[in-house]
Amino acid sequence: MTVAAPSSLLADLLSGPRPTEWEAPRLAAEARLAGRELPTPRDKGWQYTDLASLSRTPFTPAPEATADISGDLLPEMVGTRQVFVNGRYAPHASCVSALPPGLRFLPLTLASEACHCLGTLAPETARSPFEDLNTARFEDGALILVPKNLRATLPLHLLFVTRVEHPSAVFPRVLIRLEAGAELSLVEEHTGQGPYLTCPVVEIQVGEGAILRHERIQRDHATAVHMTTLRATVAQGGQYHSRTLTFGARLSRQEPSVRLAEGAEATLDGLALLGDGQVADTHSFLHHAEPHGTSHQLHTCVVDGQARAVFNGQIRVAPDAQGTDAQQKSRNLLLSGTARVDTEPQLEIYADDVKCTHGAAVGQLDPDEIFYLQSRGLDLEAARNLLTYGFAADLLERIPVASLRRALRRLVLARTHASALGDLA
Amino acid sequence: MLSIKNLTASINGTPVLKGIDLEIKAGEIHAIMGPNGSGKSTLGKVLVGHPAYEVTGGTVTFEGKNLFDLEPDVRARAGLFMGFQHPIEVPGVSNAAFLRLAYNKKAEAEGRDELDPLEFDDFIHEKIKLVSMKEAFLDRSLNEGFSGGEKKRNEILQMAVLEPKLAILDELDSGLDIDALRVLGDAVNKLMRPDHALLVITHFPRILETIRPQFVHVLSGGRILKQGGPGLAIELEERGYDWVVEEAAPGGHR
Ligand SMILES: Nc1ncnc2c1ncn2[C@@H]1O[C@H](COP(=O)(O)OP(=O)(O)O)[C@@H](O)[C@H]1O
Ligand SMILES: [Mg+2]
Repeated sequence: MTVAAPSSLLADLLSGPRPTEWEAPRLAAEARLAGRELPTPRDKGWQYTDLASLSRTPFTPAPEATADISGDLLPEMVGTRQVFVNGRYAPHASCVSALPPGLRFLPLTLASEACHCLGTLAPETARSPFEDLNTARFEDGALILVPKNLRATLPLHLLFVTRVEHPSAVFPRVLIRLEAGAELSLVEEHTGQGPYLTCPVVEIQVGEGAILRHERIQRDHATAVHMTTLRATVAQGGQYHSRTLTFGARLSRQEPSVRLAEGAEATLDGLALLGDGQVADTHSFLHHAEPHGTSHQLHTCVVDGQARAVFNGQIRVAPDAQGTDAQQKSRNLLLSGTARVDTEPQLEIYADDVKCTHGAAVGQLDPDEIFYLQSRGLDLEAARNLLTYGFAADLLERIPVASLRRALRRLVLARTHASALGDLA
Repeated sequence: MLSIKNLTASINGTPVLKGIDLEIKAGEIHAIMGPNGSGKSTLGKVLVGHPAYEVTGGTVTFEGKNLFDLEPDVRARAGLFMGFQHPIEVPGVSNAAFLRLAYNKKAEAEGRDELDPLEFDDFIHEKIKLVSMKEAFLDRSLNEGFSGGEKKRNEILQMAVLEPKLAILDELDSGLDIDALRVLGDAVNKLMRPDHALLVITHFPRILETIRPQFVHVLSGGRILKQGGPGLAIELEERGYDWVVEEAAPGGHR
């Protein structure tokens, strides 16, 4: 019998120098990590996602680098963008000239007020080691503060680029706070080149009656690993709407958790478009802590090759949270005989007057739909590709930024081999 | 144009078509009428190559070619079209993009120039006027959330875009009010050309007041029991189908 060697990944990554700022939370995170190992398939919540390949890779902290981001700019957000390269703020690539007065959007290293926010915006749930790793070693990140009743008309663009040649790790950190009545749209994007490990942590506080729309786009490099944690609390009557689009990384895991106060609303939509040997895992947690909250969750996966998608949608309705309305739907398209989807709802309902619906469907393309398109002159391949595109693109239609919507449609076209069908975008 | 000889077909092993013979020449309009369940839709779907049906015997040639040698999409590009009784909804695929794609696939097959999005805009504008469709339907997903009548309108729009040589229209009038039926019937008549042909499948004779056939065939139990001219449709309107079936039964007189 062989016993897996203990992972040295955590120790390796902690062996580098500790950044000097925020020493207290970093020491606390290091203490929690002491003696900890990476989760294995024997651990609850990790049975489908094997990190063995990760523990065998000798990651070191990512070196400084520059990147050409001209291809990643979005016209609506040229004056409201911050760019981070290998975890460090890139002032020459960033531009915040179009920010509305009063809105604070700056790198953490320039934000003294961020010190009070770290780890406090959203109360913690179970911490993954990747979140603690981030706290212990993040170099920089973004702080977004939207003052009371400010409704930002322009969306903000947060771009994390990683360029490495050897296995290296980055730890982007984002702190977002919307005061009462504030409103903001944010596009958070991850992209790069090389065999990196990125462990972003996003903490969000949505104030009373405030509204945050959050697009999260993961198009990391095909050899990269992306392990992200997001924690949000939504105060009374506030709204948090997010859409997470997973295209890249050979291995990725999303752990969003959202706590809803009275009458608060959340959308937690996701699309994963996977091929080859990609593994993309989403473990979400929606916590209806108080009465009359509403949540919608639509998780869509299109899985080709030997890829694997995992979805675990935990919804907890606290005993006090009467009048909760929670809807969850998981829809999955398998394009090959070797693709896999493991999807399960996890409902924990402790209140009695609640409306909770969930449904999961895993299937292939509908032969009647294929035939319908063929009967209009599309050959079999074009029909299949167009239907695959449609299955995935359904989720893109509600993206509020036009240029991003178009760019993503093109990306989905290319990934579903539908580009050959002409410019459908 | 279309020649059907002793065609038999089954679904899930159950015979549905039991020996159909039918000749359709350019310039002709034919109607197939018959009670529900008689095999009318099956005949149409077999002709356009629906994979659920198995052809068990007989031959069909379309423009001199053996139809069953051709994949459904090849049949479509060769000029065969069916407006379905129950069109499918396809979420996520914009109606306009789909129509342009279908148009360009056919143009490519015929060696004509494809249309870019702007050119297609002009082209489709004329077509949606023909079927009195609202522009907004172009931006919606193909048939998604369309009412029964809107789906039928969209089928005729597709026909207008593809300009098929032979169009099979299955129960065009179901889901349509009288005004919409007249609009779509007129559109179909305008699309008809001397080198085209139409096969109208209908349970109710009403639509044949707008799209007027020269030939009427009564299908029942998977067989064509009676053939006649336009007068037969009027007779069916007055007397129903039972008498045709009785007349054709063994012992009945012909
Ligand atoms: N998908 C199917 N599965 C099983 N039986 C079918 C199917 N489609 C049609 N049939 C049967 O074939 C016969 C003819 O159906 P159809 O062609 O739809 O009739 P019509 O269009 O004349 O009303 C009916 O008895 C019907 O029940
Ligand atoms: Mg029918």
